[in-house]
Amino acid sequence: MLKIENLVTKFGSVVALDGVSMTAHESKITTVIGANGAGKSTLLRTISGLEHPAQGAITWQGESIVGRRPEDIVRLGIAHVPEGHAVISELSVEENISMGSLFRRRKFKSDIAKAMDEMYQLFPRLQERRKQLAGTLSGGERQMLAISRALVSRPQLLLLDEPSLGLAPLVVEQIIDSVNTLCRTTGLTVLLVEQNANTALGVADHGVLLALGKVVADRPAAELKADENLRAAYLGY
Amino acid sequence: MNTFLAALFSGTSRGAIFALVALGLVIVWRGAGIVNFAQMGQAMFSTYIASTLITNGNSYWVGFFVALFAGAAMGALLDILVMRPLSNKKKTELLSSDSMRAAVPVIASLGILGALQALAGILWAAEERGFPAPAKQEGFTFGSNVMPFTAFDLFVISLVALTLVITTLFFKKTGIGLAMRATALNQEVAKLSGIRTNRTRTLSWAISGAASSLAGLLITPTSNLSPNTLDLVLIVGFTAAVVGGLDSPAGAVLGGFILGMVISFVTFYDTPEDVFLSILAVLLLVLLIRPRGILGSKDVRRV
Amino acid sequence: MSNLKAHSIARKSLIRTFLFTVVMLILGSRFDAYNQAQLALVLILFIGVLSVTILTGISGQLSLGQGALMAVGGYSTALMMINYKLSLWIAIPLSIISAGIAGLLLGVAAARLSGPYLAGTTLVIALAIPTLANRFMSVFKGDEGLPVDVGYPPAWFSNTFGEPSYEKWQIYVALPFAAIALFFASNILLSRSGRMWRAIRDNELAASLNGVNYSRQKIYVFIVSATFAGLSGALYGLRGLVGPSVYPVSLSLTLLTAAVLGGIRSISGAFIGTVIVVYLPDWIEKALGNFSLSEQVSNFLPALISSLLLILVVVINPAGVAGTRLHKHK
Repeated sequence: MLKIENLVTKFGSVVALDGVSMTAHESKITTVIGANGAGKSTLLRTISGLEHPAQGAITWQGESIVGRRPEDIVRLGIAHVPEGHAVISELSVEENISMGSLFRRRKFKSDIAKAMDEMYQLFPRLQERRKQLAGTLSGGERQMLAISRALVSRPQLLLLDEPSLGLAPLVVEQIIDSVNTLCRTTGLTVLLVEQNANTALGVADHGVLLALGKVVADRPAAELKADENLRAAYLGY
Repeated sequence: MNTFLAALFSGTSRGAIFALVALGLVIVWRGAGIVNFAQMGQAMFSTYIASTLITNGNSYWVGFFVALFAGAAMGALLDILVMRPLSNKKKTELLSSDSMRAAVPVIASLGILGALQALAGILWAAEERGFPAPAKQEGFTFGSNVMPFTAFDLFVISLVALTLVITTLFFKKTGIGLAMRATALNQEVAKLSGIRTNRTRTLSWAISGAASSLAGLLITPTSNLSPNTLDLVLIVGFTAAVVGGLDSPAGAVLGGFILGMVISFVTFYDTPEDVFLSILAVLLLVLLIRPRGILGSKDVRRV
Repeated sequence: MSNLKAHSIARKSLIRTFLFTVVMLILGSRFDAYNQAQLALVLILFIGVLSVTILTGISGQLSLGQGALMAVGGYSTALMMINYKLSLWIAIPLSIISAGIAGLLLGVAAARLSGPYLAGTTLVIALAIPTLANRFMSVFKGDEGLPVDVGYPPAWFSNTFGEPSYEKWQIYVALPFAAIALFFASNILLSRSGRMWRAIRDNELAASLNGVNYSRQKIYVFIVSATFAGLSGALYGLRGLVGPSVYPVSLSLTLLTAAVLGGIRSISGAFIGTVIVVYLPDWIEKALGNFSLSEQVSNFLPALISSLLLILVVVINPAGVAGTRLHKHK
């Protein structure tokens, strides 16, 4: 379980997160929705250690992770797929995936090939393009690669930042489906940030609505999806 | 014809060394975003260590390997003691701008260069001394003709070729090599993948230090050793790296050989006094026509 | 600070310059011959360090070619004085113009470069330019160089103020130029162009969005900085010789060291840094007076200590000695 209490993150004088409290429950998909600039990405970046909070607590499985470096937080089982299909274009598909498992080479040597095979089973298109440079992939394939890069480390918590960004609806559906299946079959906990609220709420168990760095609503996803007032006020449709 | 061959051979063996220097610069630039102007100061210092060991009766190879190790250690120390604290200071007011963030590490590396040169002067005096070559420096004989190509040239070229093969394999085939490439290309994704980027960066400094020490060991038999001798090599290496593309290891090698040829042909056909002007001309030409170098990638880093 | 009107900027700079001149004159009259020569050297290098402060501290561009620009100033002055028998009071202003032209050429090349590319390119330039002395032997006289000096004061000067010693005359020659340089530097720092150049340093993109044509401004900075370097180089050559050995690459590094040690963003920092660099060998000698050091050690110790200081200042407080005060201003 990931527990966030009163989290504040600032960029200079700009307050991006203004006292956020929320929880991501084990083996569930929790989605954080909200308009552009609501602080959704900052929330994930603060959890994974890329940004340092000004105050507040982040507890993962009973242990505080505030102030740890990103490379240590990954080792605790939290994998972050940042916004914008974050892969390294100059490396091959295979290298991008195996990059995610480098830190497990000593302790889990025998598992690495298996984990990589699972990624190729999850996204068969990546296997076809193993030797290609990541820069030559389509947007959807790059997003699959970024997710594989994170999943190959066998995380317990996946932080997924706007996987739908710039992708065709069909591809989005495919990616979200894969993540959903993974969550239901392996017990992965997912924290999904989305601007596309409908898609996200459709698959999530729980929804958190963020506006200007503050939590406006924190309810079961279905309930949130049905609330037309909130939708009109914060998401504009 | 003989002049042409001589220029070609000398260009190849010099070019091999410049390629090594440029490669050292490129490795640190990719790994840390810093052009290390102290690089050949480190090489000078470790060559002095080798020279001292050899004059005290140790074999050439003892000096050789100790110098390589010293070069690597100096590179790593430099990162840990100076560059890492500096990059952790990004939030200070003076370093808050891009241009100063680029300038301050350069200033630090110049300070290190000055300190190493002064220390070498104190420890080993300023006058030039020779440095031994492990192979003959007389040209091969072909019938009655003496060829403008020596056993030492052959040694230099094969050693550099071996080094290039080993580094390429290291970067392409090993996990640490992959971690280093990932850190160089995208630090954020590297960190999120669990790569300890501080360590891989220190490793790039160490590898670069060893490569430039090797360059120092290979060039001093023909140019003698003094605290300042390798300054010129740094300039040539920098130009070679820019010509090939600062972020491209293959470009560094290409640039090294181009510079080796340019310098060698200017020396043989014109006069050695024009060498610097020709280096400057090559540098300006490349910067004006193709600022990211021949093999540099398009927009990884701003020029 | 940003709302100062032109005349009040000029008044502020004028007051600074006046105080500086008075203090220097008093020091000059109190010092012995050795320290008078040292003071003259401080004044000369101060101008060169100001060129670094303007270029690197204010506009954020790092050049290692200031020594080459100093050589341009030095050679121009020497050639005019030797070949056309011009007085130094005419030759120096003219050579400032030639240094400005060199700065224009450098700036045009530099406008496209930044960071280490600029540093490396200017370093190559600093090495290549002095070799021209050997390339055009008949004009520049190669390694031997061109002997020039400040000569003797004109008759009216000696008649009015008495015959000054050679060292004192060096101060009297350098001081007016240093004062003018200080006045202009102070004006630039407080004025609109100064603010514009700082904007370029802080953020090129934002500056260009605010209508600053940054490549043109970069060239302007180079020209201005080059005139300071050229002036400094002209006076530096007048200490006895203009030749390639007088303007080595290490001279550029000395200027940079001084600017960083004192605080690369301020005029007072430039002066403090210059004093440190010039007097460091004396201080070390005094501090180690009781130890008998070999010549080998004492020759290199100042360079070692100033380099270590440079590293320390950069790592601990990149704003330099005078820099901390400036922080509070903002």
